[in-house]
Amino acid sequence: MHSASVRRNKGDKLTKKANQQRKVAVAKVAAKGPARTVPLAGKRPARKPFKQSIIKKVKAAAPAKAGKTASKPAGKATAGAPTWERHVKKQDVGFPLRTFDLDAMSDDELVACSKAMGIRLSLAEMHSARGYFQSKGRDPTDVEMEALGQAWSEHCCYKSSKPILKKYVYGIAEEQLICREDAGVLPFDGDWYYSPKLESHNHPSAIEPYGGAATGIGGVIRDVVCMGAQPVALLDPLFFGPLDTPLDKLPPGVKHPRFLLSGVIEGIRDYGNRVGIPTVAGGITFHPGYTGNCLVNVGCVGILHKDALTHSKAGGVGDVFVYLGNPTGRDGIHGVAFASEELSEASEEASRSAVQVGDAILKEPLIHVTLELIADKLVTGCKDFGGGGLSCVAGELAYDAGFGCEIQLDAVPLKVPTMAPWEIWVSESQERMMVTAKPAQVERILQIAKKWDVPAAVVGKVIKEKVNRVRYKGTKVLEFDLSFSTGGPVYDRPMKAPTINRQDWLTFEQPKDLSQTLLWMLAHPNVMSKEWVIRQYDHEVRANTVLKPLQGVIGSEGPGDAAVLKPVPTSKKGLALSSDVNPNYCLRDPFWGAASAVDETVRNLAAVGARLSSILDNLNFGNPEKPERMWELSESARGLGTMARALNIPFASGNISLYNQGPTGPIPPTPTVMGCGILSNFEHATTMDLKKAGDKLYLVGHTYRDLGGSLYLESMKKSKGERVPQTDPEILAVSADLVVTAIEKGLVRAAHDCSEGGIAVALAEMAFAGKLGAKADLAPLGAFGDERNLQPGPMRSDHKLFSESNSRWIVEVPAAKEQAFLALFDKPVVKGLCYPLGEVVREPTVTIVDGSKPLIQVGVEACRAAWRDAMPKLMGVSA
Amino acid sequence: MNKKDITWAVLRIEGTNSEEESARCMRDVGVNAEIVHLKQLTGDDVIQSERRKLSDYDGLWIAGGFSAGDYIRAGAILAARMKSKLTPELKEFIKAGKPMLGICNGFQIMVELGVLPSMERKTPMTELPTAVLNLNDSGHYECRPSLLRHVNRGNCKFTGRIRGGEVRTVISSHAEGKFLMASEADYKRLADQDQIVFTYTDPDGSAAPKYPWSPNGAPHAIAGVCNPEGTVMGMMPHPERVFWRHGHPDWTRTGLDAGLGWDVGDGRAIFDSIVDYQTKKL
Repeated sequence: MHSASVRRNKGDKLTKKANQQRKVAVAKVAAKGPARTVPLAGKRPARKPFKQSIIKKVKAAAPAKAGKTASKPAGKATAGAPTWERHVKKQDVGFPLRTFDLDAMSDDELVACSKAMGIRLSLAEMHSARGYFQSKGRDPTDVEMEALGQAWSEHCCYKSSKPILKKYVYGIAEEQLICREDAGVLPFDGDWYYSPKLESHNHPSAIEPYGGAATGIGGVIRDVVCMGAQPVALLDPLFFGPLDTPLDKLPPGVKHPRFLLSGVIEGIRDYGNRVGIPTVAGGITFHPGYTGNCLVNVGCVGILHKDALTHSKAGGVGDVFVYLGNPTGRDGIHGVAFASEELSEASEEASRSAVQVGDAILKEPLIHVTLELIADKLVTGCKDFGGGGLSCVAGELAYDAGFGCEIQLDAVPLKVPTMAPWEIWVSESQERMMVTAKPAQVERILQIAKKWDVPAAVVGKVIKEKVNRVRYKGTKVLEFDLSFSTGGPVYDRPMKAPTINRQDWLTFEQPKDLSQTLLWMLAHPNVMSKEWVIRQYDHEVRANTVLKPLQGVIGSEGPGDAAVLKPVPTSKKGLALSSDVNPNYCLRDPFWGAASAVDETVRNLAAVGARLSSILDNLNFGNPEKPERMWELSESARGLGTMARALNIPFASGNISLYNQGPTGPIPPTPTVMGCGILSNFEHATTMDLKKAGDKLYLVGHTYRDLGGSLYLESMKKSKGERVPQTDPEILAVSADLVVTAIEKGLVRAAHDCSEGGIAVALAEMAFAGKLGAKADLAPLGAFGDERNLQPGPMRSDHKLFSESNSRWIVEVPAAKEQAFLALFDKPVVKGLCYPLGEVVREPTVTIVDGSKPLIQVGVEACRAAWRDAMPKLMGVSA
Repeated sequence: MNKKDITWAVLRIEGTNSEEESARCMRDVGVNAEIVHLKQLTGDDVIQSERRKLSDYDGLWIAGGFSAGDYIRAGAILAARMKSKLTPELKEFIKAGKPMLGICNGFQIMVELGVLPSMERKTPMTELPTAVLNLNDSGHYECRPSLLRHVNRGNCKFTGRIRGGEVRTVISSHAEGKFLMASEADYKRLADQDQIVFTYTDPDGSAAPKYPWSPNGAPHAIAGVCNPEGTVMGMMPHPERVFWRHGHPDWTRTGLDAGLGWDVGDGRAIFDSIVDYQTKKL
């Protein structure tokens, strides 16, 4: 009771304060011209006009070398007193404001200055900035320098990745998109659209897993909401180092994977559950390469009526900016710059303040307020405060509409009243949303915000001139031509293929007890049950989850291929979601690894009865200034693009996270793919659990000797060699379509894709989830083995069993429907693509033979126990 | 009363998150439902056209979620806000025999408010809470299907359409769901007064199921209770999530018609039952 009133009072106070600030702001914005003109520094005659330079073909060593010469000699020469500070002048304006005489700084000083400020601009970029201010005939303020640091960070302007994205990813099937802004928007059914978004929050989560993961969810939800969509689902692909890493093997500054995983799970749980959006899919992948830099990718999907579609740009000149949500604080300063450099031992100390603080119970009403404003047609544009804060959101809202903006910084609601203008401008505090509106709507907007106890204030207006102008207490503290600050540099960075040992054919003996190998695989961290995690997330709230992440007999569930939602009450269509990537393939071959991620996404969606509608990519890579990492990025993008183009599927949205490398080296290339699929009728949705003894089992798709990066080779302790699975998008598309068609025709009772551990693992999972047994004979497989492998002779039994070939499903077909099912495959391309495998049996045993050779015979309960108990054991908790 | 004249209020504040599906359930059984923010009832910060009175409604559903974040104790903040501003109206509402339902966070709030279990007849609300919904034995949030046995002997107005002893599947989704009372005598009195509505069970039908079949470890496996008059009910699992058969975790095994009608889930009977009560008795 006590606490409740405290909270409410606090809310009232904030709103009151916000209102006072609003009055001030409105008055100031309305007044013609600033109260005081702004001679920030001694005026200099304007020099030749500045032209934004596109920096091409940077030499690999250049930035690194510049950094070295700067930090060492400069530091030594001055014995710790940074000389660049001589060129910084404090302005006598009654609040903290400095100007920088960039002209007077030497190159070393420029680099030292950038580094000391934490804006992480390279020497070339500092030169660019200097050129701009020379052309304007004045010195930049600290607000301007900080704003540039943010706008030109890798995170905000994609300076390293843009050329690659342009080459491989942009422009594919885009006519299928309604739009692509903060989130993508695509048709769902009739007047309804869906809006997906996938993002990463990697670096913050490596430093502060709980807050980092929570705010990652917060950010991706806002992206979807600002399109006018009600979020309906979350998914979270996560990547960590091995949970059993010995403590003494961790380099200084690296947190133990178990600590990171627990923190991330709790962050997602406490934020996602509170905000009331079900977490329905995702995955956890373990690899030693993530030990020093875990990855937290977060996806969100929203649903909107076409009338609610709202663009991330202002409506017109004279519109006002209304700030909604959390007051701005000192949390999250330099977040994007932090995201654009490698992690190190010092990150904990240096970058803690870059991690924002989430507040689910401000976010939840903020969603209601935003959607209510949109439904009542009170706003002209809407954009969330993401990386880059106010600095980015105001400029982009105006610039994307072809206008400029004037912002009053002192109108912004603050957590700390003493914040300097630059801190207000670049803070990345969470739970904030910016809308543009006609002035006449402001009163109603503020009323609705107040009802929900959400702070709100008018902070500026849209102007015709294409500049971004910011005032604080009457003083102009920033003025940019918008084309300058939003332009950003672009680098065509050098790349080089690393040496990968792909010695093609390994020779090894088939192990005697393949049943043991299967049990080992089921307990492998990348296969084992994630139930301990999944059940801590609310995957049922909103009552739309038709297929859950765990599927099968209650109390004996197995891993579902994809979740299915029924997001529109009046529509029977289903929305299926899945996310996939196998870093073991990407590490060996980023092109085929990325292609395989798309393949797996397609088959996961098809397994539940959905046709792929769009994909989203989150490209997590190492330091792009290293040519090998750049090559990995490029190859992965090429892989994704090749598949998307062949499948004619658009990228609904994407995100890039570079500099993912820490004291344990770079992460494996990780192009996370999220797929959104549509079911023509949710009633067709099919789960992976075996359903009825006597049903027939078929394998759809060819099996090759695809062992590179496989679990089987790992079980043999072979880390190198063999080719990773490849894929043929034409065959994938046709066979996925046939699987879905068979499901729609009611010919399939269960379907499951074959991925890690191949047929053996897939079949075992299907069996224990249905509490039934399975009998399979692999003799019909492997006839096509030669086609890709260039290896003569029939495939070995163990290879058939554990090969991880793409584009394969195991399906359960009722005996009575066998003929109708097979008839589907009686046409070109897919002829011979469907192999009889065996049948479902009552006796709870998985039995697999190859002709007369017995391979596997293991109890279903033993399989489930191995799968179920592995994670609690690794985490040291009870199941 | 005719169905079309019945209107339910589904109460929400910041952090309530099950209000939409809750309102949808009531509409799907043929009555009206309006999602109402607490401030619309108390009159704070809302414009005239948004103003509402509790007495305008025929039923009150406190929906699930994390009201005000549940940061100090589940349900405590919303309960305190209701207590300070709505106590007379609430007492009137319950005394008039109008039904009140709390699911999950709603149940937690009702216990904090003292409207459940409130074991004296004709006492709609106790001064202090007489029970508590404590942290699950697992120490964390649990989202999983539960098997609920209907153990009420006819007192509860929310279960008229469910046979005694019948077991239904309902979704649990909570961190603080362990229903605790001060003494064994309290539990006995609760049972004697026919105030226990649902208990957790397992596939073997045990009266003392182990984790995870009891998701929280509540003594006597209590999942839901009602007031002595049977018009106020609270339960931890979410029947609104199994209103439709397609919300069941195993519907792909049972089919969409599992004996109750096409796409009818195990939870729907609760809403049909209370509307039966309203149309016949009120």
